[in-house]
Amino acid sequence: MARCKVTLQVNGKSMELDVKPSETLLETLRDRLELTGAKEGCGLGACGSCTVLLNGLPTRSCIALTAELDGAEVTTIEGLADGTELDPLQKSFMEKGAVQCGFCTPGMVLTAKSLLNRNARPTRQEIIRSMSSNLCRCTGYKKIIEAVEAVSSTESPKK
Amino acid sequence: MIASKLEFKSPKDIEEAVRFYREFQGEAVYLSGGTDLVPRMKLGLEKPKAVIDLKRISPLTTVEDQADWIRIGALARIFDLKQNELIQDFFPALEASLEATSCESLQMRGTIGGNLLQNSRCLFYNQSEFWRRSKGFCLKMGGERCNAVPGAKTCFANYCSDNAPGLSTLSAELECTGPDGVRWLNLEDLYTDKADKPFNLRPGEILTAILVPKKRTAGGYKKLRVRGAIDYPLLGVAFSFVDGTGKLAVGAVGPKPYVVEMKKPPQDTIGEAVKAVLKQVRPVGNTVLDPDYRKRMISVLAAKLVNKVMEGVK
Amino acid sequence: MDRKYTVVGTRMTRTDSLAKVTGRATFTADLKLPRMLCAKILRSPHPHARILNIDTSRALALPGVKAVVTAADAHGVKWGVFKYTQDHPMIAIDKVRYVGEDVAGVAAVDEETAQEALDLIQVDYEPLSAVFDPDEAMKEGAPLIHEQYTNNINVHVHIDVGDVDEAFAKAHLVREDTFHAAGEAYSTLEPYAVVASYVNGFLDLWVPNAGPHVRAKALSNLLKIPLNKVRVRHINVGGHFGSRSEVSPGDLVTSLLSIKSGCPVKLVLTREENATCTRQIHDIQATIKTGVKKDGTITAKEFRVVYDGGAYSSTGPIAASIPYYVYEEAYRFTNVRYDGYRVITNKGIRGMYGAHGRAFLVGNEMQLDMIARELGMDPMEIRLKNGLNVGEETATKSSIISGGLEEPIRQAAERAGWKEKRAALHEGEGIGMGCVAIMCGFPMGFRSGSACYVKLNDDGQATIVTGICDTGMGNESMAIQIASEILGIPVEDINLVNADTEVTNLDPGAYSQAASFVGGNAVKRACEEAKRQILSIATAKMNHPVEDLDLKDRMVVSKTDPSKSMPLRWVVREAFFQGKPIAATGAYMPKIDFQREWIKNPYGQMAGTYSFGCSVAEVTVDKETGQIRIPHFVAAHDCGNPINTMAVEGQIEGSVQQAGVAVLTEETRWSEGRLLNADLLEYKVPLACDMPEIEPVIVRSNDPEGPFGAKEGGLTTRMNAYSAVACAAHNALGVVLNEFPLTPDRVLKALDAAKGGGKL
Repeated sequence: MARCKVTLQVNGKSMELDVKPSETLLETLRDRLELTGAKEGCGLGACGSCTVLLNGLPTRSCIALTAELDGAEVTTIEGLADGTELDPLQKSFMEKGAVQCGFCTPGMVLTAKSLLNRNARPTRQEIIRSMSSNLCRCTGYKKIIEAVEAVSSTESPKK
Repeated sequence: MIASKLEFKSPKDIEEAVRFYREFQGEAVYLSGGTDLVPRMKLGLEKPKAVIDLKRISPLTTVEDQADWIRIGALARIFDLKQNELIQDFFPALEASLEATSCESLQMRGTIGGNLLQNSRCLFYNQSEFWRRSKGFCLKMGGERCNAVPGAKTCFANYCSDNAPGLSTLSAELECTGPDGVRWLNLEDLYTDKADKPFNLRPGEILTAILVPKKRTAGGYKKLRVRGAIDYPLLGVAFSFVDGTGKLAVGAVGPKPYVVEMKKPPQDTIGEAVKAVLKQVRPVGNTVLDPDYRKRMISVLAAKLVNKVMEGVK
Repeated sequence: MDRKYTVVGTRMTRTDSLAKVTGRATFTADLKLPRMLCAKILRSPHPHARILNIDTSRALALPGVKAVVTAADAHGVKWGVFKYTQDHPMIAIDKVRYVGEDVAGVAAVDEETAQEALDLIQVDYEPLSAVFDPDEAMKEGAPLIHEQYTNNINVHVHIDVGDVDEAFAKAHLVREDTFHAAGEAYSTLEPYAVVASYVNGFLDLWVPNAGPHVRAKALSNLLKIPLNKVRVRHINVGGHFGSRSEVSPGDLVTSLLSIKSGCPVKLVLTREENATCTRQIHDIQATIKTGVKKDGTITAKEFRVVYDGGAYSSTGPIAASIPYYVYEEAYRFTNVRYDGYRVITNKGIRGMYGAHGRAFLVGNEMQLDMIARELGMDPMEIRLKNGLNVGEETATKSSIISGGLEEPIRQAAERAGWKEKRAALHEGEGIGMGCVAIMCGFPMGFRSGSACYVKLNDDGQATIVTGICDTGMGNESMAIQIASEILGIPVEDINLVNADTEVTNLDPGAYSQAASFVGGNAVKRACEEAKRQILSIATAKMNHPVEDLDLKDRMVVSKTDPSKSMPLRWVVREAFFQGKPIAATGAYMPKIDFQREWIKNPYGQMAGTYSFGCSVAEVTVDKETGQIRIPHFVAAHDCGNPINTMAVEGQIEGSVQQAGVAVLTEETRWSEGRLLNADLLEYKVPLACDMPEIEPVIVRSNDPEGPFGAKEGGLTTRMNAYSAVACAAHNALGVVLNEFPLTPDRVLKALDAAKGGGKL
């Protein structure tokens, strides 16, 4: 099987990868790059646990083929903080109790991050609409929505 | 894990894409957003020798005002389209169905062409290879029987595009480019009416654009689903009022949308239009929610929708 | 906020959340060990069949395959939670009993090779007749799935108190109704995974579990490896809700593969395997008969409940009892008869669930509303009348030492505006109430207690070592919070080692609502003992009476004279000098009746204490489409005293999704032993847009036994939210709703039936 050469920017670092055509972005991130923050919850794009930012947009990495992503920018949860300085969303999720088991958390935070990058002051309904892309089984979503609201009402987002 | 071995091709234009298709003697598939294709590959429902990515072919993503038509590139993303002013101004039925499609994240990935060309679905079909082998292959898989309706000799899978009904009410046309050149067809002619192979596409053909007559319309879309996002429609009803005529389309209860031109005025002829649809549809127990219920909701949703839209027209 | 305490009772940021928001929390599938192999499992395609032969030779010959195992590699031990339910070999021996059952396992160098190897294993089956419906399974002549369960009845729980028949005869009003709810799926976001590593006689296991000690014991028995050489290690768990409490086939198969290959082995289940081949939740049919006096006092209760248990017993007697118990713990039953039948069918195995029992609990509450209406009573009044209070006993003789049902009802009703809203309902609107009580701990013999160790290091920081297990709810943080409160040192000074069987002592685990009450108590006692040790050294070093000393802000301080203080670390160092390091043990065993047994003797003190809860839901129903919306939800939960207010709210809010909204959307759909919606698309886990506005209300009853007065942190909502929503729907529609979930098609069916002269 002919392999594919793909250049990706992952969390700001450019890398040249040699991947199988059938390899998903999630497999590349978790198995090749050992970035295990993105999770496999269902493998079929239904739950959003695998969400990463692809060119800034929340994307289910389990149904994206790495081979199609030459030249793309990928941000995973590991790349959100600036060194030890947490992103305001990460802080807010912690402070508002929006994290329980933590399995959906990376996907949730990144989906919210993309929203705030595109719309610094979303309404509650707009937040709910965005966050309805991701499943959570623990929190009932209330504190997740509150965590996003808290950031949206105080700051303009970092790029 | 996608179990099959495959090749990946990234053509720079349509000609190259079609050439790659020929190279693999038809055992290749075209990739747009991948939100239907990749899950199918993961379930082993699709085992192509090659995946041909259309996303590098740039003119396929634009929306253009072409005087008499609005031309929508087939690879335009659902999310981008729903925010497009031309679509919002002219085609409210389409705007509503775009908004109702899946969830925001998947709208950012999925394309309108991919949405139209999504394969039909059934609870007994969209399963893993292990599941399907243990049950026995059904008609849609090339087997001898239907697993959803014992004894049935035709396939009952449902075509669940949210946007096909709306585009049907807007009298959309499709532009397809393939090995034999370019052709145009009415959207309604895309469908074979056979759920196991729903589309009249020629081998190697690429859906390149959707063309909608540029007319101001009133319209809307009502979707029946259990949850408020992500879910495919269990029933989708679209309505557009254009040039004084109403058109109703019902989707997700068979292999194609059922389209009816309504007698005037539409708010008074809903019953008749629904009756015409009911004559044709036969929902079965291959989705969540009872099929009789889904059938019953056709008239309920059609009435709610048509009345709401026509009230706005007055 | 409770001003008596510094840390306890606050909205503390959980100690585990930093790792989770940065993607650094390790879950089992994230683990990578040197030489680790990838495992895959060959599963039965038949719901019921004899295994005639298994030929693994071609799989073994495939390059890259390092081990293949079948039952021949195990010891033929059958596991069961109880001795009388030992029916599960974990890997099929002579028979398969459900589609998806583990038949063989492969460990290979990568996933593709392992998958290819599965196709090379040849299994010859003789298919047998299968049975999928519990009523059919109990009939004479039905296929017998296990030799030991006559008529496929796994367990029969029988409880008989007072004289039920006489009480019915004398009752002013008697009502009988039957309710049925489809089964559900836990839908933990993390699919099951196991990493097993067998080296020099020691088996190390990482697996999402809710109780490492019981897991290790089960594997020790199954593998015939001494208990001390089975080490279940700490790992983050991506949700549990009852699904991770017992040993699972994947644990055994992966362990066998590691033993055979000499390498660490990782098994990661797909979502489909997770739904079908680990635990699911019982379908339940409940027939409920209730007799009342004219004033609404319940005088008689009779229940016949059938639980569809799937192919093996799992927690059998527990599952077949719990719905009854959480109800008798809430209400006063002087005459009650309960017959719970757990039935074996050829489907995936059913286990305990946080939202277990919905047909039973909804049925009871809805019936109570119908009785109330006939008597001209407010549903709230009839619940207050029959609710248990402190000092009373349940029907099966458990004493209530704190709380009672009254306070949660009053607080929920007040916050929800119950009386005002009921008086002002518009067409299609409804409001309903659901109540329940939860036992803080199941009777688990000697495993009902917990023990904790504390040590102080020479900088005055502490390490807490406890068996407490955290499956996402915040138990780890809770343990640290308790320690911080007592030792007077900040949370960041406290390390936690937990849920590791080599290091930590016994603990009941995270599946019987015992973590705060039992585990937390052990932590508290250990820290109090450490404090006693510290102060006994400090008193001499400071030359100050011990009664006047306390711990605060990393210091030993005088309670009365602020100028008298000494850094804690000095005292710790002094203790080292004296050969008496600050190292303490604390243990807690709840005061329960150890003679109580689920089947043989279901009477006596079941748990150390009980929590109580009342939920109120408002709904709007579209009578044309049958769709129900829940605009508003109030949940009052008596947790005694919250250790972490935010965490308790989180439990309540999560429960509203898992039980409250789920009663409208969630069901597993089956066709001849095959699950149709094993994925997370067609199994409808509610989304953010489906949720009501939620108001959690924390009721404080200050339990005399619980640590800082604490009881369990939110399960009442998980078991009464569905009742509240269903009762609200019933209130809006005016018809009995017998079939769950309340998907719109079922709602219209109920409305049609009522129009056609069905019973109201």
